Amino acid sequence: MFSNIDNEAFIKAFQETIFMSFVSTLFVFIFGLLLGITLFATGKQSINQNKIIYQISSIITNILRSIPFLILIVLLVPFTKLIVGTILGAKAALPALIIGATPYYARLVELTLNEKGKYLIETGQAFGASNYKIITKIIIPESLIGIIRGITVTAIMIVGYTSIAGAIGAGGLGNLAYLYGFTRNQIDVTILATLLIIGIILFIQLISDILIKKIQKT
Amino acid sequence: MITLTDISKTFKTKQGTFNALKNISLSIEENTIHGIIGPSGAGKSTLIRVINQLEKQDTGTVGVFEYTDVKKLNKESTRMYRKRVSMIFQNFNLLEQKTVFQNIGLPIILHQRLKETDITLIRELITLVGLNGYENSYPNELSGGQKQRVGIARALVSKPEILLCDEPTSALDTQTIKTVLELIKTIKEKLNLTVVIVTHDMNVIKEICEEVTVMNEGEIVESDNIDNIIFNPQSPVTSGLLGTIGLDIKQFISKKVTKENMFVLLFDKSIINQSLISRVVQIHSVNINILYANITPNNKGIMLIEINGNQSKIQSTIKELINRGVEVKHV
Repeated sequence: MFSNIDNEAFIKAFQETIFMSFVSTLFVFIFGLLLGITLFATGKQSINQNKIIYQISSIITNILRSIPFLILIVLLVPFTKLIVGTILGAKAALPALIIGATPYYARLVELTLNEKGKYLIETGQAFGASNYKIITKIIIPESLIGIIRGITVTAIMIVGYTSIAGAIGAGGLGNLAYLYGFTRNQIDVTILATLLIIGIILFIQLISDILIKKIQKT
Repeated sequence: MITLTDISKTFKTKQGTFNALKNISLSIEENTIHGIIGPSGAGKSTLIRVINQLEKQDTGTVGVFEYTDVKKLNKESTRMYRKRVSMIFQNFNLLEQKTVFQNIGLPIILHQRLKETDITLIRELITLVGLNGYENSYPNELSGGQKQRVGIARALVSKPEILLCDEPTSALDTQTIKTVLELIKTIKEKLNLTVVIVTHDMNVIKEICEEVTVMNEGEIVESDNIDNIIFNPQSPVTSGLLGTIGLDIKQFISKKVTKENMFVLLFDKSIINQSLISRVVQIHSVNINILYANITPNNKGIMLIEINGNQSKIQSTIKELINRGVEVKHV
């Protein structure tokens, strides 16, 4: 068992997976939150109802969300080449990961903000708050748990995406599992890569649970 | 204080258009507790939201304070206006992630940082609503009544002149309703507030409202002070509502076949202690049959009587009653 394991290759692949997951999650969090807030704020009966902006954001979100990730990577090849300069390696996976996961997270944010949105808006407006204050001082603080849960689910999905990206040249644990585990039939490499990915996912879940426990007021 | 003129409001729904308010005109006097009652769908919640412009009317004007129509105020002025017109809600609308103290301070925090004077004010309000010791509790550690107390304190922090209450007791149990209404009454007296309460519960009206507006299907059925509403209800909707608190005199009248000699009496606290009926019975030698008697929310006596005797005696009895300060209405 584990006779084919190359420690150095595994450490490198592990680092690459962590890098891709962490950096893209960070960007997805920022872009997704902004897009989610836009969807929420311009939605029906919201603070800044705007059919045109809502429809445009909504359609883009839906289209991007429905493209299978593998195809999205391929579609984005020219774009990736333009901004990263290459289509190989961990860095090259970032545009596809970010563009693929942002719409998903944005919908989760929209959902969680809408949960108590109507009455929170009413409360803010009744006390003379501006739209900006309603979002920053009322809606976001009150929806923090949902926002964290959302990014947790998204981050776990992104870890999964990295291995798809890895299989077509982005590096990381997925690449290792594909290259050695699949094409050379080294099952122990596949198993170790899987265990490490499970480890990453459990770690993300653990951090999320700790954070939520800390801010939940019951 | 508040003058609504020809207010109409239509909502578009999937089933078509819904006329929530149809040409509503209403005046609300300063420093009164004004109740708006009606069945659900009557438009009362929309009406109260038009006052602070959470809903904008399609037509008509809302005159409040020095403004002839608050709909015409720009964004900034609307915000300033809403500081003077506070609101409490049916489901309290508290922020779950904030403490009682932070919730009460919210209207200030939304505009600026808390100053030393604000902190003092919040502490005073916590005492006023009886929540000492709960400053650092979170809403879901509180009972419904306590939550509404937080809502009331929060509404008072901007030192408003008008307090709008949207079904303030509908999520509370009977026992708690009384204490919350008592609190509203106390703060109204203490702070010289004008209070507008929307409710579907006649008990709320009976408990604290001085003026009453009855609504049905987007229209005002009648609007008067509480005594006149009870003494002289004009519409079957009002009678129905009075029936829910045992004050529907019409219901007793309709049980009698001959209504010729039936009268409704309304009299002040000052004569409540006189043995009025037996006095006039002795003087005018008539027979009086008391069909119904009760005390109105304003502590006035209300009575439904039947006088038996010859017409001249009945007439002189009535004169006597009127001379003694009783309001008499022939059925």
